[in-house]
Amino acid sequence: MLMGIELWTEKYRPRTLDEIVNQEEIVSRLKEFVKEKNVPHLLFVGPPGTGKTTAALCLAHDLYGEHWRDNTLELNASDERGIDVIRTRIKDYARTIPLGEVPFKLIILDEADNMTSDAQQALRRTMELFSRSTRFILIANYASKIIEPIQSRCAVFRFQPLPKEAAKDRLRYIAQNEGVKVTEEALEAIWVESEGDLRKAINILQAAAALRKEVTEEVVYEVLGKISPKEVREIIKLAIAGKFLEARDRLRSYMYSYGLSGVDVLKMMHKELLSSKLDLNIDEYTRAELLDLIGEINFRLVEGSDDEIQLNALLAKFALIGSKSRRTA
Amino acid sequence: MSARIPWVEKYRPKRIADVAGNDKAKKAFIAWLNSWVRGRPSKKAALLYGPPGTGKTSIAHAAAIEYNLDLVEANASDVRTSQALRTKIFRAASEQSLFGKRGRLILLDEIDGISPREDRGGLEVVKELINISRHPVVLTANNPWDPRLRSLRELCEMIEFRKLGKRDITRVLKNICEKEGIECPYEVLDYIARRAKGDLRAAINDLQSIAEGKTRVTLHDLEILGYRAEQADMFTIVRYILTARTPLQARGVLSYPSLDYEMLIQWLNENIPYQYSPSLVAIADAYDALSRADVFLGRMKRRQQWSLLTYVLDLITVGVASAREKPPFKFVKYSFPQKLRILAATKYKREAAQRVLKQIAKNTHMSTRKVRLELLPFLKIINESNPEMMRKILKSLDISKKSFEAILS
Repeated sequence: MLMGIELWTEKYRPRTLDEIVNQEEIVSRLKEFVKEKNVPHLLFVGPPGTGKTTAALCLAHDLYGEHWRDNTLELNASDERGIDVIRTRIKDYARTIPLGEVPFKLIILDEADNMTSDAQQALRRTMELFSRSTRFILIANYASKIIEPIQSRCAVFRFQPLPKEAAKDRLRYIAQNEGVKVTEEALEAIWVESEGDLRKAINILQAAAALRKEVTEEVVYEVLGKISPKEVREIIKLAIAGKFLEARDRLRSYMYSYGLSGVDVLKMMHKELLSSKLDLNIDEYTRAELLDLIGEINFRLVEGSDDEIQLNALLAKFALIGSKSRRTA
Repeated sequence: MSARIPWVEKYRPKRIADVAGNDKAKKAFIAWLNSWVRGRPSKKAALLYGPPGTGKTSIAHAAAIEYNLDLVEANASDVRTSQALRTKIFRAASEQSLFGKRGRLILLDEIDGISPREDRGGLEVVKELINISRHPVVLTANNPWDPRLRSLRELCEMIEFRKLGKRDITRVLKNICEKEGIECPYEVLDYIARRAKGDLRAAINDLQSIAEGKTRVTLHDLEILGYRAEQADMFTIVRYILTARTPLQARGVLSYPSLDYEMLIQWLNENIPYQYSPSLVAIADAYDALSRADVFLGRMKRRQQWSLLTYVLDLITVGVASAREKPPFKFVKYSFPQKLRILAATKYKREAAQRVLKQIAKNTHMSTRKVRLELLPFLKIINESNPEMMRKILKSLDISKKSFEAILS
């Protein structure tokens, strides 16, 4: 990196394939590509925080050395406005010849599974069109969300969460480097709460270290308490209590002040409904009903419906179901 | 079919008090007539002036009935051109009523129809008539201020009639509908009244042309009048849907040809709970219909299947109005969609925040969405508890403290 980013996730991101630990099989195959100076199209799949983007960046680094930035185009499907923009950027980029002795340039397309299948079809044609001068690394959480024709053109690499001990080792190493004391219980808590997502684990560690010089289990839970979406819990409670207008207004200000999408909120609601911390005083059948509604609304939103109208309809149903459940109780 | 009696005639007021609006003019007119009854008129003639359809002729008719007078009526310009009429009017005006016989009221309509410029003779005839008359003479005019009419004005009690208010007009229209046994939604009456611009005669004629022979009138019927939704205001449309007496009636708003249904969806989204509170059933039902309309709208646009529009329109009218357990009608103030207001008000702020997020995203190889959801909560904690660490982070990201704090607020 040209400048040291003071976020620990960046500061301790491996720079070369050699620095990657605990993904031996993947790393050794990627090293083969570097040695041959030939890379097929690649598809990296796996849960968040398992090193997919890191592996792609390290591969670029090892392939091109110090010129890796000139030969690598990083795109994020969620931030580019549609397949046309992506195509244009790829076209412009692929027009110039690669620097150095590798005869192709790399295009890393992150969050590729956020593309619609139509967009992926268009992407497939683009990949074919520029396959002589470029290689693609597609990154996704789920292979099943990538269309077959693309999968069949790519070498697929599946990333697994780091094993517990390896993850804790990494956290310990970072803490040591930063001069931060971490208790064993704190590391255990971070491991449990980060659910295999190393990026999240490191972020928890840094935030905890910002709070206290010594990171204990309590500090970790303090951090987790601060990042948990209390707002969403309140909104659900208001709706179930039949206070529809209040719930609607809270939801609106929450969404707009945090710039959240409807799907973001639905995912939080889904999580909240399954959390033991949420006490709604409803029976299990009613809870299942609410979950079913969230699923339906989520489907509508990914289909392209209006966030606010759909969420308001959801809250109105919550309010109705809540009042019925009270009546029968 | 029997001959059509114009409703303007059929429903002419029988008493002065029943003439719509213009209370000041009515008072002045009654005072003038009473001065005749007492035998000492201040002025022998009254000149009722004002825009068309404000009750000038009607008040004369009502006075004749109320004061038990024979109405002798003529159009002022005819008096001049038709010798027979002139003779008749002059005789009626000059003859003293015999004992036991009824008095008379002479009405000369449209006095300004006599062109004072082209035909001074015409005006002389009217002045002569006033001079010889032994009965009250009523003249009407739209514009009495032509300088050549000055000498005539001096002979007359000047009584001004003003344009009628929308409320006066709708009251009369509603009355007629009741007498004719026609069910007519308020929106239709309101539209007719607005369109009439203070002219009750025009309003009654409009009503007759769309409503005669029907038992029910809808906004659809307004098309006969060349009803163009001059960007009908959303408040009216929303109220029409949310307070429709029957769900099918709510469909009436679809006759606004330039109805902005996407805007309407936003307006309904904002205002359903205001109208339907406290009924949770009604709110949930209405939102259910509205949200399905939104789904259809999305499909229609994505697949370019414009024929689906009809279902969208049905759902936002009949669908929304079909909500169960609607509370009894109440007048609520509607509000402009807050979503649109917020989006407009925070546009620059959101753009600035997006630039900061992009900058962070580029440096952390994440999408802006992930930065917002997965990194920002941690950055907030660091920002609150450890300014020194935060300062370093921001510096390494090349982001000023100020612009970072803009995304937190």
